[in-house]
Amino acid sequence: MVSAATSRLEGVRGGSIDPGTVTVVLFLLGGAVFLLIGCLRSTTFAQLTIEGLAIGSVYGSLALALVLVYRATHVINFAQGELAMFTTYIAWDLMQHGLSYWPAFAATLAIAFALGTVLQVTLIRPVQHRSVIAVVIVTVGLFILIDGVVNWIWGGDFKLMKSPFGLGSFDVGGVPIRHLYVGMMVVVFVSVVLVWALFRFTKLGLGMRAAALRPDAAALVGVRVDSMLAIGWGLAAVLGAVAGLMAEPTQLFLTPVLMQQILVYAFAAAVLGGLESPAGALVGGLTIGVSLNLIVGYVPEKYVGSNLQLPLAFAVLLVILLVKPSGLFGRREVRRV
Amino acid sequence: MRPKIPALTSLLVVAAVLVILPFILSDYNISLAAQVGIFFIAVLGLNILTGYTGQISIGHGAFMAIGGYTTAVMSRDHGTNLVVTMLMAFAICFVVGLLVGLPALRLSGVYLALVTFALAVSVPYIPLQYSTFLGGSGGVNVRDSQIPSNLWVYKAAWTSSAILFVLAWLILRGRVGRAFRAIRDSEIAAVSSGVELPVYKTLAFGISAAYAGVAGSLFVLALNGFAQPSEFDVFLSLQILVGAAVAGLGSLWGILVGAAFVGLLPQVSSSVPVIGAQHGRDVVFGAAVILIMLLLPDGFAGLLARIRRLGSA
Amino acid sequence: MPVNRKKLGALLFVLLATTAAAGSAAASHKGTPGVTSKQIVIGGTFPYSGPAALYKTIPSAEQAFYAYVNATYGGVHHRKIKDITLDDQYSPGETPGLVKQLVEKDHVFAIVGSLGTAPGLSTWGYLNKRHIPQVLLATGDAYWGNCVHHACQGSAKPWTMGWQPDYPGEAKLYAKYILKHKKGAKIGVLYQNDAFGKNYLTGLRTGLGSHASEIVDAEPYNVTDSGQVVGGHVVKIAGSGANVFVIFATPSAAIAALATEGQIPGWSPLTINSNVSANRIFMQIAAGNGAKPDGVLSTTYVASQTAQSNLPGMKLAKTIIHKYAPGGVGTLDQQFASGDNNLVYGLAVGWTFWDALKHSGKNPTRASLMHALRNMNETNNPFIYPKMVVKTSKKRTFPMEQLIFEKWHGGATGDWKTFGKVLNSGH
Repeated sequence: MVSAATSRLEGVRGGSIDPGTVTVVLFLLGGAVFLLIGCLRSTTFAQLTIEGLAIGSVYGSLALALVLVYRATHVINFAQGELAMFTTYIAWDLMQHGLSYWPAFAATLAIAFALGTVLQVTLIRPVQHRSVIAVVIVTVGLFILIDGVVNWIWGGDFKLMKSPFGLGSFDVGGVPIRHLYVGMMVVVFVSVVLVWALFRFTKLGLGMRAAALRPDAAALVGVRVDSMLAIGWGLAAVLGAVAGLMAEPTQLFLTPVLMQQILVYAFAAAVLGGLESPAGALVGGLTIGVSLNLIVGYVPEKYVGSNLQLPLAFAVLLVILLVKPSGLFGRREVRRV
Repeated sequence: MRPKIPALTSLLVVAAVLVILPFILSDYNISLAAQVGIFFIAVLGLNILTGYTGQISIGHGAFMAIGGYTTAVMSRDHGTNLVVTMLMAFAICFVVGLLVGLPALRLSGVYLALVTFALAVSVPYIPLQYSTFLGGSGGVNVRDSQIPSNLWVYKAAWTSSAILFVLAWLILRGRVGRAFRAIRDSEIAAVSSGVELPVYKTLAFGISAAYAGVAGSLFVLALNGFAQPSEFDVFLSLQILVGAAVAGLGSLWGILVGAAFVGLLPQVSSSVPVIGAQHGRDVVFGAAVILIMLLLPDGFAGLLARIRRLGSA
Repeated sequence: MPVNRKKLGALLFVLLATTAAAGSAAASHKGTPGVTSKQIVIGGTFPYSGPAALYKTIPSAEQAFYAYVNATYGGVHHRKIKDITLDDQYSPGETPGLVKQLVEKDHVFAIVGSLGTAPGLSTWGYLNKRHIPQVLLATGDAYWGNCVHHACQGSAKPWTMGWQPDYPGEAKLYAKYILKHKKGAKIGVLYQNDAFGKNYLTGLRTGLGSHASEIVDAEPYNVTDSGQVVGGHVVKIAGSGANVFVIFATPSAAIAALATEGQIPGWSPLTINSNVSANRIFMQIAAGNGAKPDGVLSTTYVASQTAQSNLPGMKLAKTIIHKYAPGGVGTLDQQFASGDNNLVYGLAVGWTFWDALKHSGKNPTRASLMHALRNMNETNNPFIYPKMVVKTSKKRTFPMEQLIFEKWHGGATGDWKTFGKVLNSGH
């Protein structure tokens, strides 16, 4: 019965290929070629690119979490970054109690899932039907609350977390590529693929997609829409946890401000890709990661210093929303009167 | 819903209290009372935007930054009279607000929240990049001779509050106010009844930004005339938003309570023993915000309305 | 009826205001602020959180020291010392509000030991205007000594005083060392992009004199930059061909810099790490993240509890930290044993303050405290490097003007070893 509801949805989404998407894909391919040539010609370019892709995958993971939540509940969770930071601290705490990295990683993902679902049920569900402003303020309150709780429980100073990928580098044609960067990209990729597989191939995933696209129809065929939304939040929290855990080694220390800047980059990435497009979020993240790293690496400090990274991300966000609000991969949203 | 025109009694009571307070409060508490005045102005401004035209902004801290830096730089470089710098802050932020309001026309709801949030996060980095003019991480100091006393800031803040409150009342009771309310209730209906959306929506942004600019000037002056990027972090923008939410719509008392909430709660919560020192602020603030949104959807003004309804039932 | 509700609201408001007022009116003070018959209240701002939180053991040590003085001697002239330390997160935007609180709400006698150059500069105008001592600051900016009799940023600041040897003096010693031991060097400098870093860089340039052009790359980084961005600057310095690498950075950035340096294959410059980030603990963290610390140079002016554990001062330090750690007995023992030298630094500063307070008269005033601080001849501070002195006079506005070089040996579990003579870093 669920498949009946969603197969109609598949039909809605199938159909002919949007020319806009084709342009975007070609543009991205061109960009990839440019990067490849640059990497082959310059060691610095290659290092900056790999680094940009690695941190970009973190942006993409958090952006994907944002998109998941938005698709399911039409809410932007301003606290997604802080939630990711909170789960990273939980991982640290587990490791302090003796767990080694990968078991702690797995446990943290499970805890993140539970936390995400609980938050959706207790805080978001009661205000969901009210105005956008109300929900925004609740997520904002959550942002502040989580920040305070982390500082309270663990303090605001520096925690050390051993990087799971060690300090070594691969030597690829004379370019040192840190194990860390490769590891980051692999972990994010695997997590994203697993979540995608969940959506694509399982009954649960089918139910979630139905609940997001046509909640009324889905309810009629027996999908428990409310639970689906909660699970969506849980999965988003998992992706956020992955982002936080992969971001931490790049900052050497774990502090409460871990995800605050990354959240803005993730917003830019999600919007760039289109708030309803998971693939777009990832591509957006990689694009922003690489672009910013190359710009800061090559343009002299006094014109564009590292201080301008965030304003640049903001500029990207603004331009996209003005020029193509549905993002690179999204479809134009029709406002029903 | 017409704006609540405060009865003359309320106004007189508030005015009387404000006049008496400096005589009975300690110097430190006068500075706290001044903080409430500063947030009153900022919350009032945001209320006009969000409450009356329904446009969200989580970025009003950015306008406060512009206002604050205007005052600091004008004093540092030219020794300009502080009140004149406040007027300059009002004017400059009005223009910047109009400029921000233009792209905001094409955004709504969640998208506008996103953009203004990103604005709030990025603006503090501008003085860091352009450090020769804007002081970088070392900040900008007003001239030593111009550093105001707590009492001066108190008087300036509350006098400005009074003037800007009356100004807001005048704007909102007239044609502009009716247009604002029409937009908030239904943009499509407003357009079909002849309201020029772009003009009024942009105007609302300009006005609320101008208010935030004045608040920013006073904010810097309250900190010994020192403007520095980290004073204008995201939390400041969040404070203003929360103040507006707590205030609810269009009531003098609502805005007073909202301003007092965000201006004083950080001070009070830092002495909450269980949670301890500065991070008590965030936990209490965050929890309070969530609880208020869950339990008091229309803010303090809504609570007052409910009490009133109970009373007249 | 609506009017009654309004009147009720008005009444409520007036009641609240009066209560608040009543609460505060009681807090009037006669005599010297912060000094009662039983107590002397001082205050300071420190980075308990934020980018410089690795320094948070300094205020802990100072608090421990005052607790020791209170318990052992009953305080000074029967007044116990109470130290209110607040967290400004090393952010000069946070400091003014907190200092206002200390001065106007807590009515502190003096601001003692506050950490940070930029935070200090954001409040020195306010404090000097009100004639409040801002002393023994945990920063080596040259302003703290140069602006006592001369105007800086508009006016002289006689109520401000540092403690540790100043940054330009330290940098000049590094310059001399480079000129002597590395002829024709190519110097790369990583420095913090604010008054702290620039003070150091200027000192280095002055010390190099006509050889200042040997600095081939000076990379500024911002306090808010992530470890990755700082590392990027180090990569650029390596790319410039520098064979001397000087780090003028606060701990987390210095650690990131050293860690990145260690992972750049084929680059082993003479590395100099300024003494603000040379704490043994920091070096060990850096080594754990890829740094190769052997051969790194720095300077010191405080005794080492690991390299000089037999000194009576270090034994006293161990006892005080054990018994009087603010978190409870024994809570800082591990930190002390691992070699966190900032604990000794904090004790040393506390000692100097105690010394000055003892010489401020039976009923100290802010003026008498400053007078005592400006006429010190402290040769018996058990926590500073042996044979060094803390000395001030009308002409000598920098309390400490001596440094000794040290070099790191022993890899990730190693330590600093001093070499050479005690040098004069003064003016």
